[in-house]
Amino acid sequence: MQGFDLLESVYWQPFKYIHLTHRFFNINSETVIYTWITLAILAALIIPIRFILHKKGILRFVLITMIRESAEMSKQTLGEFSFNHYVFVMSLFFFIFIGSIIGVVPFIEEPTGDLNTTLALAIVTFCYIQVYAIKVNGLWAYAKEYFSPIFIMLPLNIISKLATIISLSFRLFGNIFGGAMITKLALTATQGSLWLETFALLSGFNLLLIGFFGVFEALIQAFVFAMLALTYLALALKGEEMGLEPTEGNT
Amino acid sequence: MIELGILFYFITIACVIGINSFGVGIGEGLTGAAALDATNLQPAARNEISKIALFGTVLTETSAIMGLTIAIFMLVRTDPYSLTLFKGIATLGIALAISLSGLVVGIVSCWPAREACFAVARQPFFEQNIMRFMLITQSIIQTPLIFALIVAFMISAQLDDVRTLSGAIRLFSSGLCFGIGSIGPAIGLADFARVACRGLGINRHAYGTIFSFTFISEAIVETPIIFALVVSLMLLFSQAPRDNIIVCAAMLGAALSIGIGTIGAGISSGRTASAAVDQIAKKPEIYPTISKVSMLGQGIIDTSAVYALLVSVLIILFGQYM
Repeated sequence: MQGFDLLESVYWQPFKYIHLTHRFFNINSETVIYTWITLAILAALIIPIRFILHKKGILRFVLITMIRESAEMSKQTLGEFSFNHYVFVMSLFFFIFIGSIIGVVPFIEEPTGDLNTTLALAIVTFCYIQVYAIKVNGLWAYAKEYFSPIFIMLPLNIISKLATIISLSFRLFGNIFGGAMITKLALTATQGSLWLETFALLSGFNLLLIGFFGVFEALIQAFVFAMLALTYLALALKGEEMGLEPTEGNT
Repeated sequence: MIELGILFYFITIACVIGINSFGVGIGEGLTGAAALDATNLQPAARNEISKIALFGTVLTETSAIMGLTIAIFMLVRTDPYSLTLFKGIATLGIALAISLSGLVVGIVSCWPAREACFAVARQPFFEQNIMRFMLITQSIIQTPLIFALIVAFMISAQLDDVRTLSGAIRLFSSGLCFGIGSIGPAIGLADFARVACRGLGINRHAYGTIFSFTFISEAIVETPIIFALVVSLMLLFSQAPRDNIIVCAAMLGAALSIGIGTIGAGISSGRTASAAVDQIAKKPEIYPTISKVSMLGQGIIDTSAVYALLVSVLIILFGQYM
């Protein structure tokens, strides 16, 4: 039966029966499956972490130090500690980190190497920032920001706000996708001959490649995405005070 | 006409490996000179300085390795006798994308290594952290190369479908757009990394603040590269339904708009961030104020790149219907 060979086809077409077969409405099945695997790993990590937290030991110390350091960093950026923002940013960090590092496992591709995932993450971040900017500054001050120098700047202000979505999503996508592509290319290049493959395996070339593009790049990109979300949030929340601070320093 | 296509194909391979190696050679030479100068300043730290210089040159060499990969890939995959003139023009796009970004990244990624050598000469006991910091900043400078590799592979994947002049110019301008667009941001990134490494040599107690500031600032400085990548991907996935000279001109115009528009934004955004990190190194306690001012300034500078992006996107959207 058509439409039920879900695991066979790469693209699902959920709106096929109401004649929406444009490429825009397709769903990439691999990304969906790997995203669910990422979420399952994140959920399964709760059990060992609870186990670690209830026992004294070096791991508990490391974990608590990590959490304290990241909370300190978010406090330094935002000016004051806020549990909501901290949890939001850390969940972004862990999702992107696990979602990018999962490509190390054979036969699994990174869900963050798909533009749809990164675009969704960027749109969620953007909406979160706008909602909190309205909540904190008030609707009037928020709307006034769009007409800031003069009212003609309205379309340009809107575009420069939307540009944050583009820059956030394409930065993550480009780095993870490019890294995965380089790794795949190098691994297939050595596959031909037995000599090359043995050499690459024994000399640590494969390990270096996967370690750099799989683990290191994943960590850096997750950190950058989370920190940028935090910084944009800080800028949006403190929009009014920004102009005053330099003059205070001068007097 | 077939011979001209083959000529362009071999010019591409020569450019990809030759120009990249040229840049890398200059960069490695500058790093070595800085290492010798630093050893003259502080002869007791010669072991640490030589280690830093070694790792710095290894990371500088990434650009040449990337060029070698592309050259071997093209030699193995493409049959030169199947190339027409239009396919030859399209392969020149690969040459532009890889060699322009590789040249700039190769020369420029020696700057943090140079300053790291002098920083170690000043603070020999802080060598571990300085080296870690230098490696991270240098590997962030290599991001234009990864993006250029994506563009090059997508161009070479579409090479077989090129039959018209406007199709060839579409792929050519996609490479041109990314090649020119990566020059400014790469210089900005390296300038920032240079000043940050020097700051570590001045004040090693500012390590934590400089470290977290580096990630945010370098991510914002490389925003124009991402705009160039977006335009380049749009050119790759757009269709040119008509084959006339106006469509070709529109594609080239879109590429030049975002390419030249990002040069100023990238360099000046990097200079803003490097001035901020200079102040943070001297006075780490003013980090919250300085970082917000710097980020606001960078955001306003990036607006010019956003306008260039807007113009390019409009040209691509309307240029197809001319």
